[in-house]
Amino acid sequence: MGGPAEFRASTAPVDLIEHAFDAAQAEVERLETRYSRYLDTSLVTRINRSAGSGQSIPVDTETAALINYADTLFSQSNGLFDITSGVLRQAWDFQASAPPPADKIAECRARIGWDQVQWDGESIALPRAGMEIDFGGIVKEYACDAAAAVLKRNGLDHALVDLAGDIACTGPEHKAHPWRIGVCQPGDPDQPLATIGLAAGGLATSGDYQRCIEWQGQRYSHILNPLTGWPAQGLVSVTVLADQCLVAGSTSTLALLMSADSGLQWLADTGLPWLAVEGDGIVHGTIAEHHTGSAKL
Amino acid sequence: MRLQLSKLRHRNDGSSTEPIKCRDSHPSLLALTSSALLLPAYAYADSAPDTATMGVRYSEYKEDGIKAQDSFGGDSERYDIDISQFHLLAPLGSEWSVAFDVQQETMSGASPWFVGQSFDGGGKVIMSGASISDNRTSMSLTTRYYFDRGNVGVTLGNSDEDDYESNSVGLDLTFNSADQQRTYTVGLGASNDDLEPTIGTTPVDVAKEEKESRSLFLGMSQIVSRRAIIQFGLSYTLMDGYLTDPYKASDRRPDERQQWVATSQYRHFFVGADAALHADYRYFDDDWGVRSHTVNLAWHQSLGRNFSLIPSLRYYTQDAADFYSVVADPSQQYFADDHRLSSFGAWTTGLKLQTRLDNWTFSISGERYRSDLSYGLYEGDEAPALLSFNRYTIGLDYRFD
Repeated sequence: MGGPAEFRASTAPVDLIEHAFDAAQAEVERLETRYSRYLDTSLVTRINRSAGSGQSIPVDTETAALINYADTLFSQSNGLFDITSGVLRQAWDFQASAPPPADKIAECRARIGWDQVQWDGESIALPRAGMEIDFGGIVKEYACDAAAAVLKRNGLDHALVDLAGDIACTGPEHKAHPWRIGVCQPGDPDQPLATIGLAAGGLATSGDYQRCIEWQGQRYSHILNPLTGWPAQGLVSVTVLADQCLVAGSTSTLALLMSADSGLQWLADTGLPWLAVEGDGIVHGTIAEHHTGSAKL
Repeated sequence: MRLQLSKLRHRNDGSSTEPIKCRDSHPSLLALTSSALLLPAYAYADSAPDTATMGVRYSEYKEDGIKAQDSFGGDSERYDIDISQFHLLAPLGSEWSVAFDVQQETMSGASPWFVGQSFDGGGKVIMSGASISDNRTSMSLTTRYYFDRGNVGVTLGNSDEDDYESNSVGLDLTFNSADQQRTYTVGLGASNDDLEPTIGTTPVDVAKEEKESRSLFLGMSQIVSRRAIIQFGLSYTLMDGYLTDPYKASDRRPDERQQWVATSQYRHFFVGADAALHADYRYFDDDWGVRSHTVNLAWHQSLGRNFSLIPSLRYYTQDAADFYSVVADPSQQYFADDHRLSSFGAWTTGLKLQTRLDNWTFSISGERYRSDLSYGLYEGDEAPALLSFNRYTIGLDYRFD
């Protein structure tokens, strides 16, 4: 899931912790095996291989709930978040020095469109060959919550799951002391931007400043807008807290896909605690305890 | 570069463990949240087990033979017991679990029948004929319901032998404090037993008798630090009915017994050593005059990811029942020569090795128990039939995914 799973727990007997961590690790691996688009045997790979064949692939209830969630995300964002938009990666190479030619982007865009997918709540059919779905931006966050739920069910009421920056906890670190989570400056893991107290729910940060193309003075981030096929031009990094890491992740990803102004408005409207960094380094947010100083870009 | 902070809409200083509220939140967020909550990871309220576990265990229990100087019949074998156990714990939906346990015991050998006066004034045991053999099958079924702040369970049990049948029912409730640092437990139990002693190699003068017991348990566990947890328990048991041992020649006991037990358990995890200390103490007192103290220490040492080694040491000391004597005196109202009611002390040393591979856990353990009057803290006359035994156990557990 793009990095090792890290589990932390306080105040619990060692045998309890060991067993709980094993179970949580197994849960993360289970979700990875099932939903990774890189694994040949995953359900996602099976669905993608069937694209254009007219074949409908039945899915289990958990996958159905994930697809329904993605469907809600699609409709609530008016198509800005689309689980069929992964094909744009075939056009965009972030190791390259320049953006791809417009016709290549257009060719990929023609294969995007969740609204064309046949989904009846139980089975899914991708109508055109070359169409793909992927749960990037959903399943890592969901795995975080699912692993936390496993820890909770195993009796750990003061535990934390960290999947490469997506975080969920089962409760505060200790009684009245929340977990202290450091959020870094975009692109600089050594520079703390803020320390966030997390006592319940989850936290997600979107925006990877490392992966982008700088061309003719213009920065092209890897957050791709499915409606244009071009990188989002708004906020650079967004951190959101919510009852679920999944909702935090979707909220922050949507903010990144919008223009900076709309993104900030969206974040403010959700009423969730958030922190955002604009392209020029300006930090906004409702999360207390910022480190002083501005984001270094 | 400038730093702008938007007006603080929501304080998140982390001092609250309440879920983050978004009362006036955006309809899109509400739609996302309600859609997310249909995912199975959010569907659980408390901690019902999420996977089934199954285990089998086999133990061999072997008492040391009785020595010639303690017995009228010369050297004699004592009890051997083979014990097979099966355990299954399975979730039923997300809020219920069911546990099923079966235990089968096969006993063979001889046990002390009575103690007679020897020429030197001490007591010597007369053993029962050397061919007692019996099977005991016990079963229990527990159904447990998990809710937000705890769980409640009901247990039904049955134990059956040729000459004995016991039926029991138990109810327990565990409740967590709001800060999750403390857990309270209340338990109630009742059992009704029927005895129908069979006449084998030892004569019995009882046709059919009954006894029953009622018990109450109160417990509390408290997290004392990040690495330590402590538990206390108090229990009271009232037994009523035929409490005499029908297989002893000189045994008459009161038909009521009240027992009080206080327990404490301490668990401390040592990060550097990757080990945990389990230190337990138990005090027992009853209205027959029996008192006892038990101290149990175990060191759970992890060895890499897959192994753990658990050495343990237990000390036990007991004061005799008021009506105990080395050689029973049938002229008294109550009398017994049962070594289990005498004053003695006992040491148990044990070692257990446990290894885990994927979903399997394998364990092997051995125990040595030795008892003697001189080990104990209480005065008394030494029973000639005090026990020593070895016990070996192997176990295999499997966790279903």
